Amino acid sequence: MNVAISARGRRALWFSFGFLLVFLYAPLVILVIFSFNDREFVSFPWQGFTLRWYQQFLENPFLLDSLKTSAAIATMTSVVTTALAIPASIALSRRRFFAKGLVSGVLLAPLVIPLVVLGTALLILFNIVKTLIGIDFELGMMSIMVAHVVIALPFAILTIVPRLERIPVALEEASRDLGAGWWTAFRTITFPLLAPAVVSAALISFTISFDEIVLAEFVGGQTTTFPRYLWSQMRLPRQLPQVIGVAVIVLVVSAVVVMLSELLRRRTDTALEASTTVFDDDIGIPTNEVVSA
Amino acid sequence: MASAELTDTGGSRERGSRRRATLGVLGAPVLWIVLFFLVPVVMIAFYSVGGISGLSPNDIPQFTVTPWKDFLTTDPYMELFWRSVRMSTVVSITSLILAYPVAYLLALVAGKRKYTMLIVIIVPFLTSYLLRILAFRVLLGDQGVINSFLEQVGLIDQPITWLFNSRFAIYAVLSYVWVPFVALPIFVSLESLDLQLLEASNDLGASRFRTFWSVTFPLSLPGVIAAFIFVFIPTLGEYITPLLVGGPSGFMFGNAIQSAFTTGLDWQFGSAMAMFLVVAVAVLVAFFGRYLNVRTVAE
Repeated sequence: MNVAISARGRRALWFSFGFLLVFLYAPLVILVIFSFNDREFVSFPWQGFTLRWYQQFLENPFLLDSLKTSAAIATMTSVVTTALAIPASIALSRRRFFAKGLVSGVLLAPLVIPLVVLGTALLILFNIVKTLIGIDFELGMMSIMVAHVVIALPFAILTIVPRLERIPVALEEASRDLGAGWWTAFRTITFPLLAPAVVSAALISFTISFDEIVLAEFVGGQTTTFPRYLWSQMRLPRQLPQVIGVAVIVLVVSAVVVMLSELLRRRTDTALEASTTVFDDDIGIPTNEVVSA
Repeated sequence: MASAELTDTGGSRERGSRRRATLGVLGAPVLWIVLFFLVPVVMIAFYSVGGISGLSPNDIPQFTVTPWKDFLTTDPYMELFWRSVRMSTVVSITSLILAYPVAYLLALVAGKRKYTMLIVIIVPFLTSYLLRILAFRVLLGDQGVINSFLEQVGLIDQPITWLFNSRFAIYAVLSYVWVPFVALPIFVSLESLDLQLLEASNDLGASRFRTFWSVTFPLSLPGVIAAFIFVFIPTLGEYITPLLVGGPSGFMFGNAIQSAFTTGLDWQFGSAMAMFLVVAVAVLVAFFGRYLNVRTVAE
């Protein structure tokens, strides 16, 4: 007999799962369906299939510009975040140092701050630098990137650390024993094993930045990112169908990217697990199977 | 430091270079967070009491408690804060109730399929936030899919008003936004549950409900509390969703802060309110911090 659940309870749980799936996906599916409805308002009745909203969006220069701006900011955010997250994760999972709890707390603290507070605080910081210290710069893509790295970094670290903890330190130590410097050991041993988590971290950072509105509103100056454009259009009902066209495209693309990266991560995780079990009985001596994984 | 010296078998030069290496790998990320997160938060604290001024036209140029007094004593600012607290409470509890059974199913019943199912649940969380709000607008609006459908089939003549531009809409959208995120920590805490405990409880004659209530649920509490906090805190400052789907009832504490900086141009006042949120969050984290599992990452 199953101690966790009765037959009836099992049915109830599957029902709740089904309900949650409908709750989560129905609004998105409806959004997709109605993006093809030939009507000025996004509602019933159905007046025929059209692609004109998609066409209009392809001809809208403001919208395309905002997409490019967001893609550029998200790319920068993703590169900087990953570059900062790799060393931070190595320190947190591989080294002992003074006040480690405090340091990890500081690095992960942006997880628990309302964005409106961070936006306010950064706006004031940038204004202090500009007016009181006198370094002149425009709020824009760079300031948005700086803000996005702050909120993306904890997520990137939380993606990389668990993976790092599953890679046996012995592998790197063995290569050091064989005369490799730490950089060579990292580059040729640890990093290739870490790569899937790094890719996930980069994708997560990209997604966070591409989607972020509050910080972009506060420190974005005149720069129109895609969420800021959406935000400005969402108040005008006439623009809605067209916006929904873009929405659908972004939605589908991001869902596919996220799913692929998750699947990739799971698969390589399983591979890593399979290869490192060798170490359970024979600690410290890397075998061919491990190195080729 | 003591532990580092105990485990370090190398000489002191070796130890020094290790320390420099640690500094090297930690320096940049810590500096980034200090410069662009901790320093700015300290700055708004100073700014809100006039320790810094000259940033916006209405700044008070010397030490002052006016911004704090203004917002703590005049209506409706504290009322807005409590309204936001209520919103956060409703939203976190609703998403917990929706997510818990599913997390239980995935962790203890679903078997091998659980990771695929988990991904299916999480994907909507990683798609655009604004677009999910947009989807609800399309669904619930006065001329939205639900109302226009009901009108067309003749069930109603007037749009159902409480569906949109209402508290209900705010709560529904935010719960929708957070559910996948809430499922994660509960799933993790249930998955690490030792099934032998459940068997033992069963052997001792407890019913399944009794076992759930006195074994499973208490052991999943760390996940539940972590989920609660990770939803509660960001929602406390939420102003986008209330503005887009809340109508007149959608003016929250976050909106008050935002408008102090945009339309109100009273930055010190806005800073005082933002700082108040920081204090509220700090109290919450101090209280529930040991459940947040942030530390375990480093250990």
